[in-house]
Amino acid sequence: MTELWDGLVQALHLIVTFDDEVVDIAWRSLRVSAASTVLAALICIPLGGLISFRSFRGKRLLINVIQTFYSVPTVCVGLFVFLMLSRAGPLGGLGLLFTPSAMVVGQALLITPIMLGLTISALSSVDKNIRDTTLSLGASERQAIWAIIKEARFAISAAIVLGFGRAISEVGVAMMVGGNIRGFTQILTTAIADEANQGNVELALALGVILLAIALVVTLGVNLVQQRR
Amino acid sequence: MSIMQVIDLHQRHGSRETLKGVSFSLEQGEVFGIIGPTGSGKTTLLRLLDQIEVPSSGRVYFEGRDVTGSPRLRSELRRKVGMVLQKPVVFDASVYDNVAFPLRLRRYSRKVVHGKVDTMLNAVGLDGYQRRNARTLSGGETQKVALARALITNPQALLLDEPTANLDPVSLKTIEEFILRFSRENGTTIVIATHEMAQGQRLADRIGVIMEGQLVQIGKPSEIFYAPSDIRVARFVGVENILEGRVTSNREGLVHLDVHGRAVEAIANRHPGDELHLFIRPEDVVLSLSEASTSARNSFSGQIAGLAMSGPLARVHLDCGFPLVALITRQSAEDLGLQVGKQAHVSFKATAVHVIGQ
Amino acid sequence: MTRKPLYCLVTVLVLAALVIGAIGCSSETSGGVLKPEGRLRVATTTSLYDTGLWGYLEPKFEKQYDVELDVLSGGTGLALEWGRRGDVDVLTVHSKADELKFIADGYAAERVWFACNYFLIVGPEDDPAGIKGMSPEEAFKTLYDGGEGKFVSRGDNSGTHSKEKAIWKAAGYADYAALTEAGIAAGWYLEAGRGMGDTLVMARELGAYTLTDIGTFLAFQSDLQLVPIVESGSILLNVYSVLVCAKSTKQEMANNLVTFLTSPEVQDLIADYGVADYGQSPFTSCAGQDEPTS
Repeated sequence: MTELWDGLVQALHLIVTFDDEVVDIAWRSLRVSAASTVLAALICIPLGGLISFRSFRGKRLLINVIQTFYSVPTVCVGLFVFLMLSRAGPLGGLGLLFTPSAMVVGQALLITPIMLGLTISALSSVDKNIRDTTLSLGASERQAIWAIIKEARFAISAAIVLGFGRAISEVGVAMMVGGNIRGFTQILTTAIADEANQGNVELALALGVILLAIALVVTLGVNLVQQRR
Repeated sequence: MSIMQVIDLHQRHGSRETLKGVSFSLEQGEVFGIIGPTGSGKTTLLRLLDQIEVPSSGRVYFEGRDVTGSPRLRSELRRKVGMVLQKPVVFDASVYDNVAFPLRLRRYSRKVVHGKVDTMLNAVGLDGYQRRNARTLSGGETQKVALARALITNPQALLLDEPTANLDPVSLKTIEEFILRFSRENGTTIVIATHEMAQGQRLADRIGVIMEGQLVQIGKPSEIFYAPSDIRVARFVGVENILEGRVTSNREGLVHLDVHGRAVEAIANRHPGDELHLFIRPEDVVLSLSEASTSARNSFSGQIAGLAMSGPLARVHLDCGFPLVALITRQSAEDLGLQVGKQAHVSFKATAVHVIGQ
Repeated sequence: MTRKPLYCLVTVLVLAALVIGAIGCSSETSGGVLKPEGRLRVATTTSLYDTGLWGYLEPKFEKQYDVELDVLSGGTGLALEWGRRGDVDVLTVHSKADELKFIADGYAAERVWFACNYFLIVGPEDDPAGIKGMSPEEAFKTLYDGGEGKFVSRGDNSGTHSKEKAIWKAAGYADYAALTEAGIAAGWYLEAGRGMGDTLVMARELGAYTLTDIGTFLAFQSDLQLVPIVESGSILLNVYSVLVCAKSTKQEMANNLVTFLTSPEVQDLIADYGVADYGQSPFTSCAGQDEPTS
């Protein structure tokens, strides 16, 4: 129990003193996950719009597959991205492995299914008459999809924030494709694993507390968005 | 000039055939009413006219060109034809943004949009509502926003699906008047689908009656109301007296019919022995207490079997060898002192009887 | 309705934060996308990282050669795999047999040893198997035959794991796979599949023996109720060597790192490292001498 208590005390100390390294790690965590969230959102919102707008054979199946990937283990995504970006892999020439960019790509891939699935369900819950109305007012398919997305904007922002939450709390992808390089690709979750490995339990706990604090802000954001409905 | 034609439209929704071979054409500037009971296919027909749906077979021509099967022409049609859905939905945005939506789709400049939207909101009586969220409006206001939104691009044709369902009488009157005025001023063709035959009668230049997916009659309101083409249409447009009779003689267009043993005269060119249906609108039946002298060819006496008040009118059911309903004012019903069981005389002109073959 | 502006504000703030994050990140990631040659990557066995030696040497190397050094920590097995794939430039590992195979396969030209220390068999103070003072081979035999005392293996193809296999072989158990299968079935042999630190913690929690490098053991000692049980025997020698990967595109800078590690100044730093914290250095410098054998 003393370890937990010491960890809490040290966390508060690190937070209030704005410890350089901790702030650096936390800020990097935030930026990598934010970038991956933006990347995933840029893919998921138009793609979700298209999937939900059009009717085609296998749509139901596709949505089931997407939902299955909600629970894809982070290390599987990590391994996949590692194999793609490794010098010996198909995208090795980009030299992205063990860089923050690789983590952004990996996390984006990780959260794409959940963000896409939630976007599709958010769009399907929009009144079908909105679709007909926009079409009857002369909208092209693209304009109609955009109008429907605007109708579902609150549910979609909740999906985005949820994706961000999954991205910032995952460790498998960041560890495998980022490499946990101190000062370069080390983020909160990999730092926690690393510090615990080195026996710095208090520091690991302190970083955990900071991660929880970020998660708390994110959760509050989700609730605020959802309460609006 | 014809602006739109549909030829032999069929539409299937799953195993249900909602439209069966509908053909007609729309003239530029006319108000065309589509009337029919709920579920008869009016909405489907409008959706096909606006090309929101693709027919399972048949053709839609717009400005002389076949648009079915051409995505480009279909979208061009949608841009030139406006539609207001049965339960209009407004976007979760301000009234201004709702009405501006079609203009922004067409990439009008901000200034043009501003001018047009303000003018339109003024015309529908929603001035000052610009910044209100459209989702907070009442039913009538929502309908006005939807109408303004559909008309803002000055479409060549406007399709209205039950535009006044669930509206109070005052809003109904405002909206009907607005639609008629807009059509007159801009030469807009209006197609109005309604289950309420009186609205069709009030607004339409021509009416099509749709029954179970089929267009059963098309014509001027007076033709539909006084000369329905079959029993279903007759019932729907409020012909309460539907009798069966057999022609006994025909003298230069004046036929005598035997109806339940009583002789009824009608204007028709039928041969003796033809079995016919007779339609007599209840308001064409004149009711009196004594056998007054009248120019009406048909005069019967009978017993009052029922009496029902309906607003300013009274519906009198008589038994004069065959059942007959007369519609008179409540005032005259009181003046005459009508009571169930009393004797009364009825008369109607030969021209008030519309006959069709059985 | 009156509360709506608040939610709009929140949404806008969240989106703004995301966008700023994305922009802020792109400037940093450009180091990876546009100038990959600006960084030298070394993959190291966990013991050199977890003891803090690399954290200590990294800034000195960066300053001396004006280069960004990325230190990636993984077991020797993972480090070698990265080297084979060409994802890292330099390896610092400690598994002679694996290193020789790596060289034989053409992934590196030579191995240069720069530090050494000893492995230990550590365990609970009461020594339930009674193996204190035995040779490593005897101790393992006793564990296998005696039925008293558990053993936690790294089980992760790391250098330490390779050493453990070598000891089993020397003790007369050539079929390692059969041994582990039987041991796991009997319940006295456990595979951690984790780094050294985690494995030590696991051994503590289970009251079990484990094989550890002295560096990690010293770093963790204060938290562990484990004591050295067997600490002598030539087989326990642990040699750290540095290899320049043949696939590296930064041969020159990679060779600079070898030069750096084997330079007299750095050799002194290695020999003195950790004395203040642990009372003794976990590492002995050995560059430039014959490969230590005992």
